[in-house]
Amino acid sequence: MKYEVPIGPIHPALKEPIMLKFTLEGERIVDVDVIASQNHRGIEWIGMNRNNPVQSIYLSERICGICNFCHPACLVMAVEEAAGIESPERAEYIRVIQGELERIHSHLLWAGVAAHELGFDSLLHYVWMVREKVMDILELINGNRVTKAIIMYGGVRRDIKDEHIPKIKRMLDYYKQAFGKLAKLFLEDKTIKMRTREIGILPYEEAIKLATVGPTVRASGVKKDVRQDMPYFAYPDFEVKAITPDMLTGETIGDTYDRIIVRLLEVKQSIEIIEQALDEMPPGDILAEPKIIKLINQIKKAEGEAVARYEAPRGEDIHYVKLKSGFEYLYAWKVRAPTYINILSWRPMLLDMQIADIPIVAASIDPCLSCTNRVVIVRNNKEEILTADDLHRLSVKKTRRLLR
Amino acid sequence: MSAEEIMQKFQEAGYEVWVKEREAGVKNKVKRKSVWIKVDREKIRDAVEYLTELAEEYPHFSIISASDEGDEVELNYHFTLGYGKLLEEFVVTFKVALPKSDLKIKSITNLIPAAIFSEREMREMMGVEFEELPDKRHLFLTKDFPDGVYPWRRDETAPKETNKLYEGWKK
Repeated sequence: MKYEVPIGPIHPALKEPIMLKFTLEGERIVDVDVIASQNHRGIEWIGMNRNNPVQSIYLSERICGICNFCHPACLVMAVEEAAGIESPERAEYIRVIQGELERIHSHLLWAGVAAHELGFDSLLHYVWMVREKVMDILELINGNRVTKAIIMYGGVRRDIKDEHIPKIKRMLDYYKQAFGKLAKLFLEDKTIKMRTREIGILPYEEAIKLATVGPTVRASGVKKDVRQDMPYFAYPDFEVKAITPDMLTGETIGDTYDRIIVRLLEVKQSIEIIEQALDEMPPGDILAEPKIIKLINQIKKAEGEAVARYEAPRGEDIHYVKLKSGFEYLYAWKVRAPTYINILSWRPMLLDMQIADIPIVAASIDPCLSCTNRVVIVRNNKEEILTADDLHRLSVKKTRRLLR
Repeated sequence: MSAEEIMQKFQEAGYEVWVKEREAGVKNKVKRKSVWIKVDREKIRDAVEYLTELAEEYPHFSIISASDEGDEVELNYHFTLGYGKLLEEFVVTFKVALPKSDLKIKSITNLIPAAIFSEREMREMMGVEFEELPDKRHLFLTKDFPDGVYPWRRDETAPKETNKLYEGWKK
């Protein structure tokens, strides 16, 4: 007998309100439907009707609390191209460092969430303890852990000073040491392997057809990374290579385990990029036009359009911006976050899986979606409410069962 | 296939094409390229098919963006080509202008399944009708959102009540 399980609108595995409707036959998932219309904040509308372009930077920071550098960076890239603003060399390096610091903290945050979904709460606490080091550095150089307000059209707002550098280097050394331990905990643990190997497979062709991006597509063996394919800021200097799981294991399956590998290796890659950037950072100005009023007028006079692409921790961000001369706001603004396109891949991943696999598979694309609550099961036309805890308990139970 | 080759091929096929460049990098300067192609709305499927034919890998669909141009609504279909190779990727954009009196275009979901979210979004935000779109539900707006109100338009169909929510708002 078929029955439907809606997950969401709010649920801990999905960090933002979204609803998934599963059709089940027993424990087996036979269909998945995604219903996104849960909480639309109209950010693009505000950018097109209420905010001047500089205010929109801070607004775009609030598209996502975790990717709070990626979205403003992408918007700035688009507006800079449309209005013909150049930024100083040192600023381009600082942008790279900021972007990579964010990748480290985002991937570690995800690793903790993944451990939690599997019922490994000690690992969650360990990973998040490790993550605190990069958060401390973010606070040191930005004055804030999240919503850092660092980027500006034509540069960045705060410099990385000489006294910051030894502290950042000490953090990088710490991560180099911690990396071995993290890799061992995640990749050699028998239970994690049982829960993630061959679970939520996304084949190469399907990944390309569904236009998947970021670690999700790389875990399926597609060497696609904006930093490699179409580098921006100072990235051409670093010759970044897209990371695929076969670099470590020699094979690509495209399952949840492979997505863990890609993210862990990317943390290592980010550490290397930051190290190189700190050594090679040129001296000089950090902002092309420090007077904000002048900058706003320059953008107001500009006419043009541009598409900017940015490799965020979850995948590729795309912002399209159109500017009209004499128009106070952005004339057109379209934001595409990586999850927007990645949620399409849930369907092939989840088909034929079990209910208990939903949390880890849904979390494996690192959905940028927001917090907690309940699940309603409609069975024989009667509604039963499953709380988030119940669903989490099912997942933990499966881990325990496999351990036996 | 490079951006210039794509430009040439599409020009030969009778499309209006232009290429934009932007420099990136500090020590190692590279050019980031984007190709813009004007497409008539009857030809959108042909253009996407032609692009799929020319590209070595399946073209990566990014997003559809839109702007209200007075009497017309302009849709931009963004694709990226040449991924997986160092410094060889570029953006291809199809620009389609639709008159407001007849906001209709063929859906491309039969060719590019990933376009479904974007088309649903454009349908509710801009009021563009996509013919043969398999799923016509709202994507981001709620089920009970009023008909005939399109948030991203700049004419009488734009939401007016929402403005009252913000005290001190200029208009």
